[in-house]
Amino acid sequence: MSAEDEEGRSKRVGIRARMYVVFGLVALGFGMVLSSAWDVMVRDGEGWRELAERQRQRRLRIVPKRGTIYDRNGLALAVSVEVPSVSLDSYDLLRTVPAPQIPVVARDAANRIAAVLELDPADVERKILSKRRFSWLKRQISAEEAARLRELASRKVMGDRRVRGLVVEGEGRRYYPRRTVAGPLLGFVAPDGEGKDGIELSLDHDLKGHVEQLRGLRDRSGRLLFADGMHDDQALAGHDIHLTIDQGIQHTAERELANVATTFEAAGGSVIALDPNTGEILAMASWPGYNPNDYRSSEINERRDRGLSDLFEPGSTMKIFTIAAGLSGGAITPAQKLYCEKGFMPVDNVTIRDTHPSEWLSISQVLAFSSNICAAKIGLALGGNRLYDSLRRFGFGQTTGVPLPGEATGMLRPRSRPWVQVETAAASFGQGISVSNLQLALATAALANGGELMEPAIIKRVSSATGETLRTSVPKVRRRVVPKRVARAVVEMMIGVTEGEGTGVEAAINGYQVAGKTATAQKTDPKTGRYSLDKYIASFVGFVPARKPRVVISVMIDEPMLEHAGGAVAAPLFRRLAKKILEYQGLMPRSAKRADLAALARTADPAHAVYEAMRQAEGRRPAVQDTVSPAPVGAGRVRVPDLTGWPLREAVRRLSDLGLSAKIDGTGLLSLQTPAPGSVVTKGETLTLFFEPAT
Amino acid sequence: MIRSESLTARVRENFDWTLFLAIVAVAILGVVNLYSATSPYVDDPHRAGLADVYVSQVYWLVVGVLLGTLAWAIDYRNFERLAYFLYAGGVFGLLLVFVLGEGIRGGTRWIKIGSFTLQPSEFMKILVVLAIAKYLHDDPKTEPRTLADLAPAALLTVLPVVLVMSQPDLGTSLVYALTVVTMLAMAKIRGRSLAWLAVGGGALSVVFWKYLLRPYQKGRIDSFLNPDADVTGAGYHAFQSRTAIGNGRLWGDGYLQGTQNQFGYLPDQYSDFPFAVFAEDWGFAGAVVLLAIYCFVCIWSVHIASQAKDRFGAAVAVGVGATFFWHTFFNIGMTVGLLPVVGITLPLFSYGGSSVVTILVGFGLLMNVSMRR
Repeated sequence: MSAEDEEGRSKRVGIRARMYVVFGLVALGFGMVLSSAWDVMVRDGEGWRELAERQRQRRLRIVPKRGTIYDRNGLALAVSVEVPSVSLDSYDLLRTVPAPQIPVVARDAANRIAAVLELDPADVERKILSKRRFSWLKRQISAEEAARLRELASRKVMGDRRVRGLVVEGEGRRYYPRRTVAGPLLGFVAPDGEGKDGIELSLDHDLKGHVEQLRGLRDRSGRLLFADGMHDDQALAGHDIHLTIDQGIQHTAERELANVATTFEAAGGSVIALDPNTGEILAMASWPGYNPNDYRSSEINERRDRGLSDLFEPGSTMKIFTIAAGLSGGAITPAQKLYCEKGFMPVDNVTIRDTHPSEWLSISQVLAFSSNICAAKIGLALGGNRLYDSLRRFGFGQTTGVPLPGEATGMLRPRSRPWVQVETAAASFGQGISVSNLQLALATAALANGGELMEPAIIKRVSSATGETLRTSVPKVRRRVVPKRVARAVVEMMIGVTEGEGTGVEAAINGYQVAGKTATAQKTDPKTGRYSLDKYIASFVGFVPARKPRVVISVMIDEPMLEHAGGAVAAPLFRRLAKKILEYQGLMPRSAKRADLAALARTADPAHAVYEAMRQAEGRRPAVQDTVSPAPVGAGRVRVPDLTGWPLREAVRRLSDLGLSAKIDGTGLLSLQTPAPGSVVTKGETLTLFFEPAT
Repeated sequence: MIRSESLTARVRENFDWTLFLAIVAVAILGVVNLYSATSPYVDDPHRAGLADVYVSQVYWLVVGVLLGTLAWAIDYRNFERLAYFLYAGGVFGLLLVFVLGEGIRGGTRWIKIGSFTLQPSEFMKILVVLAIAKYLHDDPKTEPRTLADLAPAALLTVLPVVLVMSQPDLGTSLVYALTVVTMLAMAKIRGRSLAWLAVGGGALSVVFWKYLLRPYQKGRIDSFLNPDADVTGAGYHAFQSRTAIGNGRLWGDGYLQGTQNQFGYLPDQYSDFPFAVFAEDWGFAGAVVLLAIYCFVCIWSVHIASQAKDRFGAAVAVGVGATFFWHTFFNIGMTVGLLPVVGITLPLFSYGGSSVVTILVGFGLLMNVSMRR
């Protein structure tokens, strides 16, 4: 019994000892856990908390919608459309991949992504292996590419072979619905959203809106939960720009310019049309131009706005300003006659020549026959310094201040010292100095409006995305250049240029008096420094109606090869464009051919035939002329109407009325349609319509 | 004498209220915490179902209490008699997994019965404890044990360990092994045998590392040894867990206010990382209270073992306590970055029916031993 007790006691002691060891070990275990918890929660707690906050808070780069550029009548010239772009989170892509398989998986994913996006697989593979959380794969992808990418990333379609880490998101893409129209003037936008040229560059700040860095909270899946100071999209969106440009006039000017430039095989050219009473630029065409939708395939000299940044020796057009200077400076009187030296006049060691040698000419005739000698005499009579001052008052040799990039200043005193005799004589008829076409147009406008030099306006109005007007341009007079009577007198003389035997008769318009001046200037050969024998600049500047002008048009054609006289090359362009503008502004009946009454009677609406009969009988313009299609449309085919600006439902309804269906992208008002308006398509065809929210 | 005593009288006299209240406290905290853990899913259209798991957890608790009561009311000596039979049933269940198994996230651990999924490896934890206890009970030796003496016990352990490892489920097999080691440590072992065991254990871990661990398991250990190297890959769970816990600081963000969890940054927060949710909500202060309860339960089970009237009872108490301890130690250890990430649940905090039932049945046995001392 006692032995058993003994054994029992020793056993109990042994158990107790082991128990204490176990207690100790349990306490140690919990102690270790607790001390680790202390380290994480209390000792390093602040650090972890900061980390947690950094994880939740993301700086969001909100890129607002870029503003729209409209013409003076509210037609959209540049719009922003949401286009998908794809980026890669390579961490996510490789997150579940064990290390040894990474090269294989990366190669496979790269090949599949590259196949969809038409990229270089090696390049994609490099991006995957970079283990970066963000890199662009391809920006501005097509809808099909986006759909195929989503398939690639979908667990449903691909199962375990799906590619993780592909992020497709909308990015603003700039679209120019009227393609080449006003290309050099509008400029383009780089994929990063920076305006790069023209209006897009000079008004980038307004158009871009406020790119704000916002602090927001994001959860693991990237959803935005809360952001302080987050305004609504509209407040962030860029401003809309309303130009003074008239899309119709711009388009006509460009078409006519391209026509003339190609006909005469010119190297370049520009046409500027502006309202002399307000200084508003109605059209500013530059040839060759480009399509800003596809700016990558254009060359730098196509993107240059030649009316603004190309300088040239103006030649004879300067004579109108020399005469105006002479009249206002008292060197000549309007009724005076000048002796034109029968075509030869030596000044210093140079002989000045006239193409039409004359003896006595009135000031009017000096201009009409474009006599260099008499113009030089006026300049010399006025004196170099006074002529220089007058020309500067007309705005030459200084920038016009138009809010566009790349404006050239021009040069009146190339050697930065007062003119010597021969330089004064040359400047009087536009040699030895350089001007831009815009300066020429504005100086002419100063004569047209009675002697006031206007500030050029290209921006009519800037409005916020909510439609609120922020800035409006008001006509601004820079200074009075010549007294009204002088301006009137010069205008009378300029009318003579387009009449009778004047050099600019090609600019004459039936029923209107046109004031203008031609110029045919030899270009300086940069190699020899002398005047070239075959390179000319043909120009014409004028306005209409002469006594109550609505528009000043300045035409400059650089190096026309087949014909080089300003009167033959540039003046007809002036006439055609001016006529269009007058028609456009309702000052002239539209030219309409006599319609075939029999054919009209067979059309769906015989009312056309009735109106046409009335028009032919009374010589009146038919009210419904516009709806008569200019070209026949075959059976089962329809002409695509211009639906831009219509709301979605209405646009689709009108299309379905014509038997056409539509593929729709975006919401709001129609901003772009393909095929383009006016094209003829087969019934039942599908049009692609891009909509953008109304602003 | 004991037989003649009525159950109600014994309940009145010997009911272990201390342990009972501690378990109730843990269970209540567990459900409350589970609600917080899945609350971010309430408004999530894809995962709204997960926001209701605390309800099913309550159902499982009820099932567990019923089975636990059974384990408590039946005299544990009946379990002693049935121990090997139950063990065989458990092994059968593990084998069944390979035939009927439901794969979830790369592991085949579940059997589907009707609309429930059961995890036999969880129940096996208790069955292994019973079998080892039975073995120790049947071996009346009092002198230190040799390796040969331990061989049957080792066999009883290795069989389920291998079966579970091949599911693969490293965490659960680790729990089996460590529980058995703890139970055997309470028996006397010869010094030389201990040395051999140490050498053998070392060699085994090398073999493990070289041939048996899967790449993802190695990755977890790599990232544990080098925690900042890859916070978005293998180390993601450990990193996010510590971020959430650290975010709790001394007093916590408040119930349902833990920002890392509410913002969805905490992965597996209702299965493997509920402690991170708790720590973020209640801070270090809350963690101390919870750890104190867990620690108390562990120590109390050893105390029960020392009071047990026979070796089987003592061994069962140690086994249940050890299972509880290793679960708690590994789970919280991995969430605070003390240990590598292993899929071991936190008792009564992690969501899972089989786990909850197993733990409650284990405590039923513990109360059983405590009452019949």
